[in-house]
Amino acid sequence: MLKILLNTVLRSLYRQKAYSLMNIMGLATGVTCTLLILIWVEYETGFDKFHEEIDHIYSVYENQNYADGDVFSVYSTPAPLAESIKKSFPEIKYATRLVTTLGQLVLSVGDKSYVEDGGKIVDDDFFSIFSFPILKGEKKHPFQEENSIVLTEKLAQKMFGESNPIGRMVELNSKFRCKVVSVIQNPPANSSVSFDFILPFQFFEKLWDYDLNDWQANTFHTFIKVEKGVASDKLALQLQTYIKDRVPNSNVELALQAFVEYHLYAINANKAGPIWYVRVFLIIAVLILLIACFNYMNLATARSERRAKEVAIRKVVGAQRNGLVGLFLGESIFFALISLGIAIVLVELLLPVFSELTDRNLALGINNIKFLLSVSGIVIITGIISGSYPALFLSSFLPIQVIRGVSRKDSALLRKVLVIIQFSMSIALFVCSGIIYQQLNFLQQSDVGYNRNDLIYIEMSDDFNVIYPKLKRELIKIPGIYWVTAANQMPVNFTNSTWDVGWPGKTENSEDILFQLSFVDYDFIETFEMDVIQGRGFSRLQGEDSLKFIINESAAEKMNMVNTIGEPLRIWNYSGEVIGIVKDFNFRSLQVGVEPLIMMRNPDTFKYIGIRIGEDVEPTLNKIRAVWDTTVPDVPFTYRFLEEDFKYFYTAESRMSKIFVSFTLIAFVISCLGLFGLVSFVTERKSREMALRKVFGASMDTVFQLLLKEFFKWVLFSNAVAWVLSYFVMEWWLKGFAYRIDIGIGIFILAGFVSLLITFVTVYQQIWRLALKTPAHVLKYE
Amino acid sequence: MINTKNLIKIFRTDEVETTALNNVNLEINTGEFVAIMGPSGCGKSTLLNIIGLLDNPSEGELHFNGFRVEKYTERQRTNLRKENIGFVFQSFNLIDELTVFENVELPLLYLKVSGAERKRRVNEALERMNIAHRAKHFPQQLSGGQQQRVAIARAVISNPKLILADEPTGNLDSANGEEVMNLLTQLNEEGTTIVMVTHSPSDADRSHRIIQLFDGHVVTENMRQKL
Repeated sequence: MLKILLNTVLRSLYRQKAYSLMNIMGLATGVTCTLLILIWVEYETGFDKFHEEIDHIYSVYENQNYADGDVFSVYSTPAPLAESIKKSFPEIKYATRLVTTLGQLVLSVGDKSYVEDGGKIVDDDFFSIFSFPILKGEKKHPFQEENSIVLTEKLAQKMFGESNPIGRMVELNSKFRCKVVSVIQNPPANSSVSFDFILPFQFFEKLWDYDLNDWQANTFHTFIKVEKGVASDKLALQLQTYIKDRVPNSNVELALQAFVEYHLYAINANKAGPIWYVRVFLIIAVLILLIACFNYMNLATARSERRAKEVAIRKVVGAQRNGLVGLFLGESIFFALISLGIAIVLVELLLPVFSELTDRNLALGINNIKFLLSVSGIVIITGIISGSYPALFLSSFLPIQVIRGVSRKDSALLRKVLVIIQFSMSIALFVCSGIIYQQLNFLQQSDVGYNRNDLIYIEMSDDFNVIYPKLKRELIKIPGIYWVTAANQMPVNFTNSTWDVGWPGKTENSEDILFQLSFVDYDFIETFEMDVIQGRGFSRLQGEDSLKFIINESAAEKMNMVNTIGEPLRIWNYSGEVIGIVKDFNFRSLQVGVEPLIMMRNPDTFKYIGIRIGEDVEPTLNKIRAVWDTTVPDVPFTYRFLEEDFKYFYTAESRMSKIFVSFTLIAFVISCLGLFGLVSFVTERKSREMALRKVFGASMDTVFQLLLKEFFKWVLFSNAVAWVLSYFVMEWWLKGFAYRIDIGIGIFILAGFVSLLITFVTVYQQIWRLALKTPAHVLKYE
Repeated sequence: MINTKNLIKIFRTDEVETTALNNVNLEINTGEFVAIMGPSGCGKSTLLNIIGLLDNPSEGELHFNGFRVEKYTERQRTNLRKENIGFVFQSFNLIDELTVFENVELPLLYLKVSGAERKRRVNEALERMNIAHRAKHFPQQLSGGQQQRVAIARAVISNPKLILADEPTGNLDSANGEEVMNLLTQLNEEGTTIVMVTHSPSDADRSHRIIQLFDGHVVTENMRQKL
């Protein structure tokens, strides 16, 4: 029986090549997209899973509560936290601090120097919490001595070649010597914690003058590993007031995030985190697969006339209905299997492109059982969904109806509905990707309140205050350079903040306002071309300006200052006066609004040199390099454009929007196949009606228009459905942005136009052929 | 074998009611060869379809081998049909995607006959119909006469007690028609009951009895001399 079934399917596949090809390609395209998305989802959800006992690892984070009800969640925690909680709670087995951004450090071996920014500073427990295999040297407790360093295989190879690095000395910023104690395996690409080298925590004190007993400052990520069987919610509850117990006025509550969720889930309650993309793309995968299944249903039922005879004969000679249902389901599963074969080839071909698009090193997990099982599941489900309606519909034919030539209750309505759903989904995807594109474009083009073009910055690892004045003196002489300044951070992403701010008229209620802080040098406002509304910027001409503050509009508003200039202001122990108000500018991603900001001059914290250059970029850069090489000969010259950093902020979004657009196009192509199937069915059905119309005087044009109008009607209806759907989805999405576009009518009109054009191209040939048919020919074979 | 009592078949659309069969009372005995004749639209094929359990009557009784079957479900009718009745149609009704061999084999598959047995019986039937050399061909590669011989092979493969033939020679030239009628006659002589709808008086001449229908009524029943 199976052999006969297979034979029948193969022969009908061969006999109706065009139909089979359309059907298989539709399914194959759908399965390909779904596979690609699943591979990506598998990768994203597989992040960090290589750690043994990952279920016992947690990240401790802060929820900072502010007067206006806002909760600001950060991973940054106080320095003494890790050790303290480990002592207080026996259920916490290990705890480590992690300094995530170390900036650039110069590592030297002999006379060779390497500028590396992949360093992390951790406690020794780090190696017991996470499973990064140590390949050489001390395997369990690398940081028994202060002056130790752990290198990754990659960096060890780069610095020491093939020779054994264990025990060798590495010089840090030409100041500290540390011994290579271990070589650790390169962290995999799907690790949230990545590094090139690791230093023991004592280095933090050496590199920066930082009070490690301060419970109020928060700089470090804290990770813990708990004993087996510990209830994390109970522990979290106990930890909640841990900081408040030590700092009575603190607004900080501690919370735990399971490390499994570290990569995908945001700790801010009102943010979705990357899991949003995972969910969106899973929905897209399901939609595309459904579109492909609908396509199959459409094409299969459109051929029902041809299958009717076969069904009738089989029934006459003894086939039962459920046997026939099985036959048709078998057929669709068979089609799905062929599609899977093609899809696997397509996925292999497309993976490099898709990997680049997603910025992930993706691979088809042929030897991954879980993946294979899910793929088989998809194929069977695809086969069953696609085959379900055709099987039920075709097997319901009664032989007597076929023999008598009675027209059966027709599936045209359902087919129309299927095509309308297909088109609605495709058009909705089209509109959504258009709006996403517009929004991202808007963000990238929008005025952030300063001029981010023609601005480069140099990160300096050490001796800033010695080198910077010399550099500035030389740099400013270069004709292509307009301004030079310094700061502790660049305005693309300010990360320092405090609530410990005092001003006259501060009330109890205003206690908990979180102010962003930035330490900037003279000429900062000028270099970045920010607008001063009142007062002035920091200027050497005015002396040291060391206890002077510049605030932004939002801060002035929050503090409710009347005569701002000259007003006293206090941050921590620094008391001084406000000398200027700068117009609000964005110093973080535009998803976030502008927050109150205070800037002060504190040269000890400077880390970056910002340079405003002219249009002759290359010659100017060469001159800067020349100055650098003479001033800091032992550190290689590296620089970045601020604009690039700004764009980097939106890479995730713009990458996602590219993927979105690609899948939209694919959905459209499959929908067109569905439409094509529907057109073939309708033209077959309508040939008699059209022939008769022509007999009684209709012209070819009228017949053509009549048919076209019918298809256009469906597509317009799909548009209406899609417009409403996409409007609400996109309004919801845009709510997540502090700066956003208003959804305009243009994209909807464009979607309408494109869908009608595509419809016209798809149906044109077939309905024109029908319009051209000689009536006598059609009616003769009636 | 077949017995009908006041058989009525009415076709209904939304507004029109057509009575295709009106109080048809018939008795067909085992081993008989019966021809049903009459003008187009008189209800011949409807009667054949009801006898063949492809359709249900609107009213009246239908007895098959002593059982009342007019209220059988689709499943029951299928079971009864596949074991007892073979069909031959004017338009052959072979499945285009199956070879001659596979078309003939089809009823045996639904009767769950073993592979070896199927092969033996199909080959035998094809030999008998003188079409064995075409076993691997597809229906479109055969002439009309050859296709009808395949259809007859398929009808007899399950050794049915009854063969229903709806204008079996209607699409054939006289030589091929003659050959098909010879085959049917031979089957009847071997004991198979045959009920045949036909327009052709010469084909009807092969039968034992001719039932004349007009507007859904049985008007005459002529016993042939051969009986």
